[in-house]
Amino acid sequence: MQEALFENYEKQVWELAGIVPGSEGVRMRALKQAVKLGLPTKRDEDWRYSDVKFLNDISFSISKKPKAIDVKQAPLSQDYAARLVFVNGYFDEDLSDYAELLEAVHVRPLANHFTSNPDRVDELVEGGDGVALLNTALMIGGMVISVPANTAVEKPVEILNYSTGTEQAASHIRHVLEIGEAASLNIIEHFVGGAISGNYWNNSVIQARVSEGGSLTHQRVQEEGAHAYHTAKAHVSLDTGANYSCSNLMLGAKVSRFEGHVKVMGEDARATIDGVALAGKDQSHDILTNVRHMVPGSTSDQVVRTIADAFGKTAFQGKVIVDKDAQETEADQSFKALLFDRRGEANAKPELEILADDVKCSHGATVGELDEKAIFYLTSRGVDPVTARQILVSAFTADAFERVDDDLKAVIAEKVAQWMTERNIG
Amino acid sequence: MTMLKIENLHVQVGTTEIIKGLNLEVKAGEVHAIMGPNGAGKSTLASTIAGRDDYEVTSGSVTFQGKDLLDLESHERAGEGIFLGFQYPVEIPGVSNLNFLRTALNGVRKYKGEDEMSAGEFMKLVRAKASDLKMDVDMLKRFVNVGFSGGEKKRNEMVQMAVLDPKFAVLDETDSGLDIDALRIVSEGINAQRRDDTAILLITHYQRLLDYVQPDVVHVLADGQIVKSGGKELALELEEKGYADVA
Repeated sequence: MQEALFENYEKQVWELAGIVPGSEGVRMRALKQAVKLGLPTKRDEDWRYSDVKFLNDISFSISKKPKAIDVKQAPLSQDYAARLVFVNGYFDEDLSDYAELLEAVHVRPLANHFTSNPDRVDELVEGGDGVALLNTALMIGGMVISVPANTAVEKPVEILNYSTGTEQAASHIRHVLEIGEAASLNIIEHFVGGAISGNYWNNSVIQARVSEGGSLTHQRVQEEGAHAYHTAKAHVSLDTGANYSCSNLMLGAKVSRFEGHVKVMGEDARATIDGVALAGKDQSHDILTNVRHMVPGSTSDQVVRTIADAFGKTAFQGKVIVDKDAQETEADQSFKALLFDRRGEANAKPELEILADDVKCSHGATVGELDEKAIFYLTSRGVDPVTARQILVSAFTADAFERVDDDLKAVIAEKVAQWMTERNIG
Repeated sequence: MTMLKIENLHVQVGTTEIIKGLNLEVKAGEVHAIMGPNGAGKSTLASTIAGRDDYEVTSGSVTFQGKDLLDLESHERAGEGIFLGFQYPVEIPGVSNLNFLRTALNGVRKYKGEDEMSAGEFMKLVRAKASDLKMDVDMLKRFVNVGFSGGEKKRNEMVQMAVLDPKFAVLDETDSGLDIDALRIVSEGINAQRRDDTAILLITHYQRLLDYVQPDVVHVLADGQIVKSGGKELALELEEKGYADVA
């Protein structure tokens, strides 16, 4: 079955190699490796909770760059350092606004990177799964953002990924982020699908390296079209004292998945990956984290909250690896799921692999329903039932939004409330 | 003027009938006390008046100022002026007392067709009421009842009652778990709510609350029915002889 898919994808590699000369080597290496490993199926342990059938059932085409299009999507953050707009995976210069950012930071298209820095792009060929490899083989757009040492980009850089949603079109996007020593960058990724979008696939990969004392904030809001597939991976490595703080809101798409892979390579480094996923009817949202502490004295924390309505499905797979030398690691993990309906589904799989003997690691996972006693308490005082449920849900999700920027937090809270209202939950 | 009228009320929880043909009439300006042994149906009655939806009314009627209460949802009853002081106030992590109380107050005001109260006005009101009940406003910034002692929870109930200013308050064992000082403060809160245009239904196990809040009528509830009613002296008699002998 996958043979036919890969024949199709190999044709696409050659088409793309024609567009970005010099890229064919990396692309073909990745594709060959993908053929060897195959695309994930439910039999793969890491994918067992996902609805991955689409990867095997649909032969995706490469998404097309639309002719001049007016994307009227308001920015999530009013006060941004730059706004980079991608439409169907292609950078749109006209819709973007980043002149000011260029004064402090190097921003260049990924295509240049292929030829000037192939090793970096190649990194994911080793160790990547079929989905990451397909991204390398078929990537069409992305940015390389390098923040020089001691440069703080205070305001967020917002990356809008807008999809017109052509049926069976795939956008493979790759961003490379290089954070210099004591530098900082805050990116907000916003994924949006057009109103009449079909079963397109957005497959995004971020590769980031945070140098000594640097900081990367990564905030994601996923609102793909209702029939869309969304897979995203962040591969991050942290040097001494570096910080990576990631947050997620997963709302859209039929099937969506975020993976955060962090290699903590420097002492005193810290990685946090938080997420909230709201799954309505026939939606499946997965969050997978894989944090590896390789040196002593680093910390990590994950706070994930999910809600599933009838026939919605969520999963959290959180792996923390503490290497033998990584003494005095502190790693915490908290997962809580709410089911609005007994026909909803929540899965949790915490995994701790601890080889060091002097560590503080904690994890907790619970699945429950909204507390009827609390709802009665609120309503008996005059709060209407819809608002009562909204109050309890916003309290439930609050822990996972604690590290989100304040003004983005307000926007996100509004989106959660909107999700509740649309479902008429109350 | 009759505020609350209950006629031949039957209430079922799950498959068990708890209230079995209860009659009660409370007029404006009155304080009624309901006493009775454990399992008599006191808390079921309180929750039924407030509209807990897993308590099923199988027959009978409850009217409030002439309106059929059983037709209204819990929050609508609050809008009409009903308040339930919980025997076990619920802890709600992540929700601040102030936020909750302001949402509740504005919910009630909206129901009555009034404008929302501004944040400034609301804080002024809360400060005054909290101070009457010797409650630190900082405590109200904390999550609803989380980490509160038994006495603090009950005082919090009284602050909420004072801010919402209901016409009819049902206080379900508000006196339980209170030491003598807290009992006095809570009693003052109840007495402050006692007016010509309000009524209060006190549900209690013990006579001692009634030393501070003098009831006009005392009822004995046993096995889902009111079996005896009398003046405040009935409470003393109960204390002395026990339920079995009196009822």
